[in-house]
This record gives sequence, C-alpha cells and structure tokens, in this order.
Amino acid sequence: MRRKLVYSLLAVVILGIGLLTITLAAGYKPALGLDLRGGISVTLRPVTGQQYDKSSLDLAVERIRERVDSFGVGEPEILRQDNAIVVNLPGVNDQQQALDLVNVTGKVYLRPVLACASPTPSTPVTSIVSTATTTVGSSTVITLTPPTTGAAVSPGSTVTTGSPGPSRRVNTVPPTTDPSATTTVAAPTSGSSAGTSTTNASATSVPAGSGGATTTTGLPFSDPTQTQILPTRDGGRCQVGPSGGTGEVFVRDSALPRIIGGGWGVTVDLKTGGSGEGVWNALAKECFNGTATCPSKQLAIELDGQIQSAPTVQAEQFTGSVQITGRFTKAEATKLAQVMNSGALPITLQAEAVQTVSATLGKDSLRAALIAGAIGIALVLLFMFAYYRRLALVVVVGLCISGALIYSITSFISRFYNGVLSLAGVAGLIVSIGVTIDSYVVFFERLKDEIRAGRSLRNSAQRGFKAAFHTILVADSVSLIGAAVLWYLSVGAVRGFAFYLGLSTMVDVFVAYFFTRPAVLLLARTKYMSGKTIMGMETSIDGTQALGATS
Amino acid sequence: MDTETDTQIPDAPARRGWRGRLYHGETRIDFMGRKWWGIGLSGALILITIISLVAQGLNLGLDFEGGVQWEVPSANLTDAQARSVLSSNGITTTDAKIVTVSASGQARLRIQTPEQKPEVRQKVSEDLAKAAKVNIKDISTNSVTAAWGTEITKKAVRALVVFIILVALFIAWRFEWSMALSAISAMLHDVLISVGIYSVLQLEVTPATVIAFLTILGFSLYDTIVVFDKVDENTARFAGARLPYDDVINVSMNQVLMRSLNTSAAAVLPVMSLLVVGAGILGAISLREFALALFVGLITGSYSSIFIASPLLAWLKGKTPKYRSLKAPRAIGIDLERLVMGGSPAARREAQRLRGSSQGDTVRAAAIAIATPEVVLSHPPRPRKKKRR
Repeated sequence: MRRKLVYSLLAVVILGIGLLTITLAAGYKPALGLDLRGGISVTLRPVTGQQYDKSSLDLAVERIRERVDSFGVGEPEILRQDNAIVVNLPGVNDQQQALDLVNVTGKVYLRPVLACASPTPSTPVTSIVSTATTTVGSSTVITLTPPTTGAAVSPGSTVTTGSPGPSRRVNTVPPTTDPSATTTVAAPTSGSSAGTSTTNASATSVPAGSGGATTTTGLPFSDPTQTQILPTRDGGRCQVGPSGGTGEVFVRDSALPRIIGGGWGVTVDLKTGGSGEGVWNALAKECFNGTATCPSKQLAIELDGQIQSAPTVQAEQFTGSVQITGRFTKAEATKLAQVMNSGALPITLQAEAVQTVSATLGKDSLRAALIAGAIGIALVLLFMFAYYRRLALVVVVGLCISGALIYSITSFISRFYNGVLSLAGVAGLIVSIGVTIDSYVVFFERLKDEIRAGRSLRNSAQRGFKAAFHTILVADSVSLIGAAVLWYLSVGAVRGFAFYLGLSTMVDVFVAYFFTRPAVLLLARTKYMSGKTIMGMETSIDGTQALGATS
Repeated sequence: MDTETDTQIPDAPARRGWRGRLYHGETRIDFMGRKWWGIGLSGALILITIISLVAQGLNLGLDFEGGVQWEVPSANLTDAQARSVLSSNGITTTDAKIVTVSASGQARLRIQTPEQKPEVRQKVSEDLAKAAKVNIKDISTNSVTAAWGTEITKKAVRALVVFIILVALFIAWRFEWSMALSAISAMLHDVLISVGIYSVLQLEVTPATVIAFLTILGFSLYDTIVVFDKVDENTARFAGARLPYDDVINVSMNQVLMRSLNTSAAAVLPVMSLLVVGAGILGAISLREFALALFVGLITGSYSSIFIASPLLAWLKGKTPKYRSLKAPRAIGIDLERLVMGGSPAARREAQRLRGSSQGDTVRAAAIAIATPEVVLSHPPRPRKKKRR
C-alpha cells in the first residue's frame, strides 16, 4: 500500500517535471491567439441558399491554407467549425490583403494548355521542353481515355451509360480499356514533345522569368478570361488559355479514384446535354486536334489559380464518362477526384466577420492577464495557507504539477495540432484555478469531518479521500459535459475556452487521484501532520486523543 | 434555550465563537427557516431583471447585431474629427456610435457603424490613422455581418439547450430527478440575475460575456452538486431516523457551508484579480468583459446553491410519499448542531449525559433522541444479517 503510494507520487512528480523539461528543452511554446498578439481574423461562410457539403468546405480550408502558406504568413490558423471557416492570420494588418488571401472560389476551370515549364527554370531550354512533357507526364499523366474508344465502342458505351456504381464494373472492364490506354499513353507523349518542341521552347522562356516572380508572392489569382501562367501542383508552371468550361460539366460526386490499367486514375461522369457533354466535347475536340488554342493537346484542370492536373486528351468524342489515367499515387488520384467533385458544385464563400486586433492591444491584454493571473494565484495560495496551514503545501505542489502538465499539453497541441491559446483560453485557465482549488477544499473539509468524528489521521485521510473523490468526480463530470457540448456546438472564441476548461478539468481529476491522494495519505503517516498546528485542530496519528475533550 | 443548554453542558463545543464554529463545521444556521429571505431577494432581483429586459433590453455588442467597429488610440483624435472622417467616406454619422473607452491613461475611441464594404472599412482605417496620428497597426477593427451575428446567437442557444438536457439527465441518473430540476432551476436563476445586471447597467454583451455566462452555468452546477452530494449522503445516513427532509437539508448545508465559502473565495480571488489588477490597473478592456460577468456569476452561483436549489429540493422532496408523513418541527439551535455533528465523540457523550438527566420539553427530547448514537450513525446502517452469531 505504502509502496504503491510512493510510486504514484514519484511518477506524477517525475511526469510533471519531465514533460515540462522536454517542452522547455524542445522550445515548444503555446502559440498565442490573435487577440493576444494582433492580426486579422476572418470568418467565412457559404453564401446562404447554396447547396454544399462538408467535404467541399474541407477542400476550401485546404485551398485557403495552401494560399496563405504560399504568401508566407507565419503560424496561420485555419479551421472549419461546423459550416463556417475561421482564418486567423497573425501579424497581418491589411484587411484587403487578408480578404484576398482567403478569397477562394472553389471553382474548377477547364483550360487548354498552351505550354508548360519544368519546376526548375534554370535548366537548358531543350530539356525544359522535354521535361515539360515528362514532368507533367510523371505526376499527372495524361490519358483521357473515353471508355468508348475505338473498337470497343458498343460494349464500352453500354458499360458507361449505366452511371450508378461504375466502380464494380470497371474491375471487369480494364482488360478492354487497358490496351488502348497503354498504347495511347506512349503515342501522344512522344508525339506532343516532338510536335510542339519549338513552340514550347519559345513559349516557356517567357513564363520562366515572370513565373519566378509570381511564386515569391504566392499563388496567383485565377482569371479565367485571360491567358495566364499558373503553377502546377508539382512546382512547374503552365501557360493556359482562357477557360473553356467549368467543373460543372461533371456529375456531382461521380469522380472516383480507382485502379485503371494497373495504376491509379480517376473516372468521372459527364452531365448529358449541351452544358455537360457539349462543353466538354468542344474542348476535347480542340485539344485532340492540337489546334492553335490548344497546341499541347493537354487540358488543364485548374482550381483557384493552381493546375491540379493537365492530362493529354486522347479522344475527340466522349459520351457518359471520362477516365483520367497516369502514374498517380492513390492519394493523388483521391485528391484529384475530390477537386473534380467540388468543382461540380462550387461554393461561394462570404466573409461574415473580419476582426483586426492591433498588436499593442494584444500584448497589453496578454501582459495584464498574466500579471492578474499570477496575483490571483498568489492570493488563493495565501488564503489556503491561512486556512489549512501546513496542508496547503500539498496545494502548492499540486498546482505546480497541474500547471506544468497544462503548459506542456498546451505547447504540444500548439506544436502538432495547430491550436492556439486565445484570451478566452487564458480566462478559461484562470477560472479553472477555482475548480482545481475546489477539489482540494472538498477533500480537506472531508478530512476535517473525519478527524472530528474521532478517527485517526491516517484513517481519516483514506476515508476522507474516498468520499471527496466521489464528489469531485461527479462535479467534474458536469464540467466536462459542459466543455464537450460547448466545444462541439460553438464557434470561435467559445471553443478555445471550452477546450481549456475541459483540459484543466481532466488534469484536475488526474492530479487529485495520482498526486493529492498519495501525498496526503503519506503525510498523514508522518509527524508533519500531527500536532495542533495542522488545520487548527487537535489531531494525532493514532486517534487516541479524544478531540472534543481537550481545551 | 441555547444559552441554557450551553451552561448545562460545559463540554459542548457550542461555547466557541461564531468564527470558531464556522471553522470547525459546528454551525447551526437554520437555512430552511430563512428560506423566504432568499426566495424574496431572488424574486425581487428577477422582477427587476424582467422589468429591465422588457424596458431597455440588452446592450448587444457588434458580434450579435452586425456592423463595423474601430478602436483608435484617441490621444490626438476628437469625437468631431472621427465623425468628419466617417462622413468623408460616405457614412452617415447619425448611425455611428462613438464612445471613449478609457483604460488607465490610454484612452481609446470606439466607433461603431452599420455594415460597410471592405474597401470603405480599409479607407476609414487609413483616414482614422492619419487623423489620430497613429500607425494603422494600432487600430483594431471588427466587422461582422448581421446574418453571422444571428447565426452565432442561435448556436449559443442551441449549445445551451443541449447542455441543460445532458446535465439534467446526468444528475437525474447520478442522484435523482428532483435534484436535477432544482440544480437546473438554480442555474437558470444565476444566469437570469447576471443577465439582469448587464441589462440594468446597460453593459455591452460581447462573445466574451457569453463565455463568462457559460462559465457561470458550470460553476453554479458544480457548487450545487457538491451540496447535493452531501444531501444524498445524509439522506442515507438519517434513513433510519425518519428525519424530515428539511432537517436533512439544513444539516447538509451546515456541513458544506465552510467548503462553499472557501471555494467561492478561491474562485473569486483570481477573478477579482482579473477585474481589479488586469482590467482596472493595467487597463485591459477585453479582460473586464470576462471578469465582470464571472464575478457576478460566481457570487450568485454560491448563493443560489444554498438559497434556491436547496429549498426547492426540500419542497419537491417534501411532497413525496416518503417524507410527507414526517411532520416533526424542524430541529433548530443546539439540536440542529447536534445533528450536524452527529456521531462525533463529543455529541455522543453529550447525548449520554442528557438521557441520564431526564429533563427538558418534548421537542428537545425528540431531537436528542435523534442525536443519539443508536440512530445517528456516521455511515449508513448496515443491512441486518439473517443469522446472528
């Protein structure tokens, strides 16, 4: 029993000190929220009346993150909270810049590719041309194979017309589409590189220079009406013509990543009629024939200023569905399918709330909160010492351990999960001091009750803890329920508050059981606790002294 | 009667002063006898709240109503200058609300207008910076659309309803339904009174205030549950004594009184520090919004667990068949004290003595009978065994 207590005590103390040491040694710090260090916070929400789902919001978050990262904003915080997106940009002061940064349309454009450059523009011109085709080839190739190709027309078309559940059917189809796919991959790759090498060389030399400038300032803004130079996902750049159509030609949620001919690819269904197949086939015809508007025979799928994929068109006419094959990894194919799905039903986001916090105001708030918090803790401890005398030592050490645990966990979360400590969080922590102290008070008052009832100190400590822990558990459960509900159902600052309230409540239960219990039980066996000074009443280790009888 | 008893029993701990009794958990405050004070006070406060809510409502901040707000250090900026900046940008100044928020030496001008376009917002910020001769980085702005304000209000209400249902279920499962009902009522009472203070003083309600109100809910429940946990324990303890529920509650509240006061002090001290040091001396306005609501809520939270939740519970439980028949007069004074301290060696000795000297009126005799160790045990009576050894 005693050994167990000692182990528990030592383990908790070592855990607290160890975690704190690791945190400090690794230099992890809680990331501060906007309201504590200044910056701009933008809350976005889809314009009302739109149809959308959570996955398109998630995609928008990803797009905003890529965009914000490309502009080099330090420690941005971009979160989806229910159906809103909160973007916190510390250190940014220009509202217009912030609004531009988060302005993602979610629109997918289909744009004919004029020319492409490799990720490193410094390589010789000839190799740019060749790598242009090979880089695009290596990552995003390139075979748009209509399932209704060539000889396989009639079986192919019957296959594709039944749109629900093509995934099962494709498993059986590959033998028929596979040979055509592999043969067509080889032919256009060599063909396009040979045929367009001269035009590419002249065209890419221009984007190489100006493109270098654009990448330093981040992702360009998409302008679908102009010829533009846009980056590809793998770091290269392509010059693309005006948009010939949008992702709305695809059927919503029909894009699926799947294995096509031994590699990952994406299939997607086309809408029937002029708005779907009509638009797509017009583009496909242009690119398949390599006309002046689409000399490279590649059709770029662009989302918010970034080319997601630029496959070479392998057929003039498509009916029902489209296959995109190439040397994709599974993740790449999934991502592409996701982009195409979201493009089929783009969401327009609207800035609902824009908040700028000046850096000085933020710093002042943080300083004031820290000073006030420190004074508050000092007052509480003074009070504890005045009231519980020597027993308050347990409170001091316990608070230090809670503090070390909470600080370390907060730092870890900031480091690995992109969480920040906002003013609301700080307030939550300060309030939680009260809750933590309360569990000590409940325990110590129980201890006094038991001693008063004539039990020995040692016995009192055990019985007192058992009863008090019961109370603490019930009361803390309510706090936890509250924190969890708030966390799930609220937006913005309330969430930060709920998180820290929940965290400190859990730490409270942990410290109460693994530190306070062994500490007090062990102290109850020593001379430290016996004698009149303890809690202002007469105690004895063995309880032989009748309590009411003295004085 | 108290003094008489005190002189009779020199060993009785009742000799201590009120502070000593409080410290040693030997209080004998007849909370139930004074329940009308609490109910009257709360009733009056709630009435004021309702009148104020109907008459002037709440001063809802920007985040709930939508609009734009600038906060500019106003050392070099007057109200009139700010207005001219607004009108030069095509904003009708009659719609604008301009107040000075002073915080220890650094005064800030807070300008609020209805919703504006982003270009206008940026232009106004630049012009204000020029007029106030400060860097644009020192200007805080906040712009919220009205639709979003409605949305977050709806969310907060939804969270609140879910929270109340879950907590009520939890308490009902852990204790019983009448306790759940009482605890939730006490909690609503706290929120209502806090809201009332915001309405009467026309303090601005911001998201920070909402967070503080939510904390109040948590704290109020926490406090009430600790009291109810004791009541629950005492119900079992006095199960054999057929003690009226009022007495059980009185005893429990006297027993947890010190804990309640201590906890409140421990919780209020940091909040007071936030309010006085953080918001007052150091002038962090955003802290004041939190601290004020918290301060009010903590105090009402402790108050309501004793004066609202417990009488309500007693009333609800008193109607149940089990307790309806128990109509004994409430134990007060020294009798209550004995119940509170029931089972302690001092109380046991005392009961022994008094039983020997068969004097005193019937009420006291009944109370003493209750206080005897045979009936009042420090733990629930063990179920009787079938076979005796």
